[in-house]
Amino acid sequence: MNKPALYLSAASSISHQPTFGNPGFSAALRPVEASSALISPDYKAYIEAGLLRRMSKLLRMSVACAKDCIEQAGIGQPDAIVVGTGLGCLQDTEKFLNTSLTVEGLLPPTSFIQSTHNTMAGQISLSLGNHGYNMTHTQNTLSFEYALLDAAMLLREGDRNVLVGAADEHIDILENIAVQLGFEINAPLTSATSFFVLSAEKQGSAKAALADVYTSGGTAYGQEDIDAFLDRNGLRAGDIDLALCAGAPVPGVTRNLDYLSLAGTYPTASAFALHYAVDLLGTSGEIKNVLICNGLRKSNLGLTLLKAIEA
Amino acid sequence: MGVCITGIGVVSAIGMSVDENLSALRDGRTGIGPLHYLRGTKASLAGEVKASNDELRAALGVGTEYVSRTSLLGLQAAREAWGANKRSGVIRTGLISATSVGGMDRSEVFYKDYLAQSNPDYRLLTTHDSGSTTERIAKELGITGYINTLSTACSSGVNAIMLGARLILQGVLDRVLVGGSDALSGFTIDGFRSLMIYDDQWCRPFDDSRAGLNLGEGAGFLLLEGEKSLELTGNKPICNVSGWANAADAYHQTASSPDGKGATLAIENAIRRAGIGSGQISYVNAHGTGTKNNDHSESVALQNVFGSHIPPFSSTKAFTGHTLAAAGSIEAVFSVLAIQHNLIFPNLNYHTPIAETGLVPATQLETGLEVNAVLSNSFGFGGNNSSLVLTKYE
Repeated sequence: MNKPALYLSAASSISHQPTFGNPGFSAALRPVEASSALISPDYKAYIEAGLLRRMSKLLRMSVACAKDCIEQAGIGQPDAIVVGTGLGCLQDTEKFLNTSLTVEGLLPPTSFIQSTHNTMAGQISLSLGNHGYNMTHTQNTLSFEYALLDAAMLLREGDRNVLVGAADEHIDILENIAVQLGFEINAPLTSATSFFVLSAEKQGSAKAALADVYTSGGTAYGQEDIDAFLDRNGLRAGDIDLALCAGAPVPGVTRNLDYLSLAGTYPTASAFALHYAVDLLGTSGEIKNVLICNGLRKSNLGLTLLKAIEA
Repeated sequence: MGVCITGIGVVSAIGMSVDENLSALRDGRTGIGPLHYLRGTKASLAGEVKASNDELRAALGVGTEYVSRTSLLGLQAAREAWGANKRSGVIRTGLISATSVGGMDRSEVFYKDYLAQSNPDYRLLTTHDSGSTTERIAKELGITGYINTLSTACSSGVNAIMLGARLILQGVLDRVLVGGSDALSGFTIDGFRSLMIYDDQWCRPFDDSRAGLNLGEGAGFLLLEGEKSLELTGNKPICNVSGWANAADAYHQTASSPDGKGATLAIENAIRRAGIGSGQISYVNAHGTGTKNNDHSESVALQNVFGSHIPPFSSTKAFTGHTLAAAGSIEAVFSVLAIQHNLIFPNLNYHTPIAETGLVPATQLETGLEVNAVLSNSFGFGGNNSSLVLTKYE
């Protein structure tokens, strides 16, 4: 694959960790605790008060990260907005489901409007006044990788800067469902949003390049998929300084790190891993190649390769 | 050669197959009526697919009862579009479906029991997430690898076709089955009622008296192939996917702008991408939901793009109801049929032009015109506007 690298010109996350407005956060990150809560910025700095009142938590998080990214990248408007979400706006979905099953007569529409999966991407376009391509991918644990693939295609089609991100939120019933369905969960269930500006050309401060993204669904995968991915990028496992994994560690790499222990568990947690990697590449001179290996679900594999940009 | 359509499949309120849908479109026969299969909703009329879940499962050979109606409808249409094609080790094949409700039809059964604390069956939730409805279709067809779901409300179906075409042109895939599927649910019926845009009478797209939409359900799928795939399958192209565009209206979370900004951008860019002039569009399959807001905004957009030379246009929503994420793909199948058979479908229930715009849609089945290029529009919540241009294969 001889595709030109793409550049990560900005990254912004709101999560259960001190990620927002905190470059260098990766150095001091500890595993996320079950008792942890979302760390919210002062949304008023990013969203006008009247709008803010009507927005759900996930929308506030998404719009704040999007605006932070645009500011970091120093671009007026992205050419496109692409979002991945595994489960969409769960809080409003549950709220409207509840209302619809229990209330007779006229129902308030707000939670229905905000239950739609593309509410985040739509609200960002509204907040920025952006008329470009606006897309929402929702493919379980690979939702973010599919968004990233779309963004990469847009840049190859001629776009210059694409805002791409992920958003998923926790609601209380999820723990109950996980127990009832026998899901094995090793890190607490969390909410988070991560957004990035992916650019065709290197902007001043960019420290990380996106070399490649790969997804595979509906079939068991093995080491040969990872080897083939590295091979098409001219690399071997030994060239990888850090593998950020959900699921089994990658054999042969210098170091493995379970990113769910940092992000918590949610369908698009690989976006947190991407921000972590971008932050690390921006602060550590040692690390050159980072592989994100998303095996959160056994039949889905997402691989993302990042490279340090030489100064 | 570009991107070719070599297979189509559709299920909607007007039929279980392409042939049944075509025959109803020719006869001007609607599928909208009182609800028979989905019980306990407040809608007086909707476009239901005329089969129960058990009947669909039996016909499709799906054993498990833990399957969303969205998957069953999707599988029905996807199988028809896939036809006798076989899996291949050399043709890189993908599946993209679009849905807005996903498995909500099953989740609301669960949640009702959950609220009543009457032994809720948590396994019903395994089909909740939209991605799982696509994974089920992929599994039944034996497609693995690139399996993706788009969810951009009512424009989703067109976006799936657009993404599939781009993946082929960029050489990521050789062929891709693209479409959309949505089942009726109490959730969406209540949702559109809460917005006061659900008409209790039969919907009347582009009519001055229009008062809202009737929801429908169904699925549409199209098999897209690039040059390499065509050489290996030997399939005969039916049409080309020539133009596409998506643009954000950035006006309001649910309403469309009065100047039709997003819609105008989508239509203009799709026609430009097709490399033809606006005068070469033979027919417009409009979004035309029957809401005050959409039909006005879409009419303004058509005037913005075509001036006083608006091609024959109609909305087929009064046949099928508004099938949300499936609408764009069902209407793409109808657009293929328009090209294949040189047809312009009637816009049912139209009597009086919208006062502000005065546009008159096609009201009778037109069989005497050559249909070479069709523009199909789908506009959704979040200001998500998409247009598609399909052209006769040459």
